[in-house]
Amino acid sequence: MEPFVFFGGKGGVGKTTVSCAYGLECARDGHRTLVVSTDPAHSVTDVFDQSFDDSPRPVEGIDGLDAMQIDPEDEVTRHLDEIRQNLSEQVSASMVNEINRQLEMAHGTPGAYESALFDRFVDVMRNAEAYDRVVFDTAPSGSTLRLLGLPDLLEGWIDRLMYKRRTSIDLFEKAAVGNNEPRRVMDGDPVLERLQERKQFFEFAGSALHDDAAFFLVMNPDELSLNETRRSIDDLREKGFDVRGLVANKLTPSPDPDENGRGARYLRERVATERERLETIRSEFEPPLVAEIGWRSAEVKGDLLADVAAELDVETAVEPPTHV
Amino acid sequence: MDLADRIESFRETLEEWLRGLYHGMITHPAYEKIEKEAEDAEDAFMLACFPDAFGIPSPVSYYTAELLPYLEDEFEGWERRLWDRGTYLERKGQQYHF
Repeated sequence: MEPFVFFGGKGGVGKTTVSCAYGLECARDGHRTLVVSTDPAHSVTDVFDQSFDDSPRPVEGIDGLDAMQIDPEDEVTRHLDEIRQNLSEQVSASMVNEINRQLEMAHGTPGAYESALFDRFVDVMRNAEAYDRVVFDTAPSGSTLRLLGLPDLLEGWIDRLMYKRRTSIDLFEKAAVGNNEPRRVMDGDPVLERLQERKQFFEFAGSALHDDAAFFLVMNPDELSLNETRRSIDDLREKGFDVRGLVANKLTPSPDPDENGRGARYLRERVATERERLETIRSEFEPPLVAEIGWRSAEVKGDLLADVAAELDVETAVEPPTHV
Repeated sequence: MDLADRIESFRETLEEWLRGLYHGMITHPAYEKIEKEAEDAEDAFMLACFPDAFGIPSPVSYYTAELLPYLEDEFEGWERRLWDRGTYLERKGQQYHF
């Protein structure tokens, strides 16, 4: 399977658990694996009982498994600082304030978090030579889907920006009649250069996501989760990504047949409705159901994670990436 | 000064005048027009880069902000032109000399 594997789904369905379990399975099968989480709640830390930050760090006790957590807020700040640094080097003191205001406005726009996350995602994919497999535990559906749609959108946008810039420089060059020095020159224009760099970045992102990534959706056996999954599958398909498989998590355990108390009756009813829903998934949804994972009474960590991993029927074999 | 010299100097003056006239009537307005057009194109570029300056959130502002350090002149000019421009008609009108 592809080297990059994404797990997505509604909030709270257990994406992190499933991603970590899959990461564990990959590592056990001898693939050097990295688990990347974008969950600001730091659930990977809880699963492995060890703290992680935004650079990969080996998971204690598991050979060949690294993990990292990306905090979008940190990423936005880092990006801002980088530009500010650049600004103070290039721009005269009197203009810095003006431009700074614009800069802060740009980083306060609603898309900034997503862009920061996206940048970091792609960065990890670009520098993934050290790993055979990278498992992405993505943020809840909506924003992730928008994230995956970014490259196409942005490539087009950048193209238009470059066209506008070229037009204006071309006119400035034409306006320089006789011995006049043109106000802007096409050769070595830093703005065009930057835009070109960005364009290549998005091109890489687009092709890596299309050719080297597989998507799985995690869901719970309830109506809301089902509906959301259905929408996600459609959204992803619209963007040209096929969901490889569905993972049903938090299935209710059935009671022993001789039990007949209130709890047992409740469980039996739930199991029955859940079975129906699973049937719906199998018959109506195109991506196959690759795992059915039961509820655990305790937090999933340590040995329990290995249990969950065993229930995952997702292959771990790795194909080399085509675009790195 | 003989006749030949006087004709020579007359021709030089005439040439200078003609060149000045040509520059004033044809080249300079043309040059100005193209430059104004270039500025307009640049404004369109700036607007596409930073629509949030006008309260329009843009998904690309985060990325175009990277260009800010290289856009000092453009940015200054853009702001100045925005202040300076009562209407679009006025701006276009400035390009004609009657």
